[in-house]
Amino acid sequence: MSDKIKVIDCKQSDNEYLHKDFHGALCYAIKYLDDNFGEKATEEYLVQVGKTYFKPLSEKLKKDGLKALEDHWQYIFQKENGKFRLHYEGDKLVLEVDQCPAIAHLKEKNMLYTERYCQTTVVVNKTICQQAGYQCSCEYQLGKGKCVQKFWREQK
Amino acid sequence: MISCTEFIPAYSELFKFLDKKGDKEAVMRFWENLSDSFLGNLRDLAERKGLAGCFEYWSHSLTEEAADFRMSLDEDKGVFEIEMRYCPSMGRLLKEKHIEPYEFYCEHCDTLYRRVLEPLGFKYEIDLSNCKDARCKVIVKNN
Repeated sequence: MSDKIKVIDCKQSDNEYLHKDFHGALCYAIKYLDDNFGEKATEEYLVQVGKTYFKPLSEKLKKDGLKALEDHWQYIFQKENGKFRLHYEGDKLVLEVDQCPAIAHLKEKNMLYTERYCQTTVVVNKTICQQAGYQCSCEYQLGKGKCVQKFWREQK
Repeated sequence: MISCTEFIPAYSELFKFLDKKGDKEAVMRFWENLSDSFLGNLRDLAERKGLAGCFEYWSHSLTEEAADFRMSLDEDKGVFEIEMRYCPSMGRLLKEKHIEPYEFYCEHCDTLYRRVLEPLGFKYEIDLSNCKDARCKVIVKNN
């Protein structure tokens, strides 16, 4: 074959699905919504994501309790090579993120970063929890990729 | 954190959200903005290396997205082709039974890449006639 002809033929199973540049596209989307429709619209969008795509996670949380969230965070942070710790403080599940894989990737690739990016975590987590009768908090250090997220069952 | 592995459904929901705010026109505006602001790497590679730059760009992104595809570059004929046998994006949306993909989801690939490549002098063609089955074909030619 001529060196002017190149071919790649791949099956889905040949590669692992992990395209971290998507973090950049999501970050861009947050900035775009903020700039063009306002922060309230950005929140509405993130609530929509929480209520639609993450509906099965809310249902699992409602049915199985905090173990559902523990498994979810364990899976995604491990897959993305995040530096994190999961533990319980009494009845609260605590996720301590020492290096957020999304922010680390944005910084490493010099992609657009907006300080509003962490609202994706704040609003989507809150929506997932509210749908299941749970509450949560997220304290993050702007731009550092570090945060502490807590999850607990709502007191009736 | 919304994982990058969860991005595609969030992306589809964004298109639906924008459509509700301002019809398809609002979605198109977003795609155009994303193309102008976010695809600098494709623009740079295609400008510097021509069709070989396109090959380099998609060989990286499609392998990371674990697509089922055949991609070819014939520099003598001036043709670069992607035969997408199973698109990881639409495939993912079809797999998620609890969400409905945005009606015009696949059109983002038309707007995003055409807008980068045509001003650089390439001819960009995309066949989306089978896109609801996660199949499509892209041909980029030197003009």
